[in-house]
Amino acid sequence: MKEKYLPWLTLLARLILGGVLFVAGLLKAKNTTEAGMAVRAYRLLPPGLANTFGYVLPWLEMGIALLLILGVAVRISAYIGGVLMLLFIFAVSQAWARGLSIDCGCFGGGGSVAPGHTKYLQEILRDIGLVIVAFYLTKRPHGRLSLDKSDS
Amino acid sequence: MANKNSGKESGKGKKDNLTRNLVIGMVVLVIAVMGGLTVASHQSSSKATVPSSVSKADGYGIVFNPSASPQIDIWEDFQCPICQHFEALNNSTINQVARSGLAKVVFHPMSFIGAESVLAANAAACAADQGKYLEMHEALYANQASSENSGKFTNNFLTALGDSTGITSKTFASCVANGKYLDWTKNIEADAAKHNVTGTPTVFINGKEINRNTQYMDPAAFKKALTDAGVKL
Repeated sequence: MKEKYLPWLTLLARLILGGVLFVAGLLKAKNTTEAGMAVRAYRLLPPGLANTFGYVLPWLEMGIALLLILGVAVRISAYIGGVLMLLFIFAVSQAWARGLSIDCGCFGGGGSVAPGHTKYLQEILRDIGLVIVAFYLTKRPHGRLSLDKSDS
Repeated sequence: MANKNSGKESGKGKKDNLTRNLVIGMVVLVIAVMGGLTVASHQSSSKATVPSSVSKADGYGIVFNPSASPQIDIWEDFQCPICQHFEALNNSTINQVARSGLAKVVFHPMSFIGAESVLAANAAACAADQGKYLEMHEALYANQASSENSGKFTNNFLTALGDSTGITSKTFASCVANGKYLDWTKNIEADAAKHNVTGTPTVFINGKEINRNTQYMDPAAFKKALTDAGVKL
């Protein structure tokens, strides 16, 4: 029974992580000026680098999402997706710890918000959930409806 | 050929790998090309046409009273609801300072909220050429749509709005219609990034941001921040 359902669970995991990444990338790509500002608002990188990261990230997210959804290089894509989520968790946590008032800009938007309008806990919990999904995929990348036949 | 047989055996796997590798190649290419194009599209350009009241040294902002001090920098986006609120509270003070030469005031109309912010910033710059920036600025906030990029700020609407502030010149209409300062709006964004501006409104007095928690939305506190810096209100 277990072996019968696991490949479908892998497909579900790919669609969840891929779906979230695709929507996140698409919404950011619609306004890359804002995407750059959202990264700057974390005050982690110098402005020039932060902007560049913000301009490239939407395309990276959509690219990884496509690979996951099509089932291509699932293990590597899941690693990259998982590392991205860990990075986001770190960035949001440090913003919270430093008392910045920002929107994570995860699905477009971003930048400074009024004090008291932050949603750090929800953002971190969601990303932890996605890290778990990505971790599962690195362990069991071979699911249904996938272009990958064997390794990675 | 020693491995001819094994090659034949894995023929099917080979074909699948081709599809798979093609997909990987395409995805990597698209990420690189789109990422590169996006980075390129946000570069500040020294060739951009800029309004006459703009100073490159002041981040391409629209400058009032260039030789006065202290210096007040205001980053705004005409579609930003909090800017509208800020404007409603502090507009009379800012206008008084700009019109009476009580300080150097530099406006940086940003456009990160989207396409209609770009059009609004362009129109405001066109109005600045006609000496009507403050009036246009006020009219834009008074006519802000209830939701962003809803289709309200079109060039026709913005031209009519400018006319309603008393602009009669045909140059204004063609400036708005031709998007004369569209490239300049990118320079404003690039400079805002340099100053690490991450939201609007953002107000600097002499290069330092005023207190976000206490000095923006309280007109008395805003005035005090100005007078403390030497503005004689």
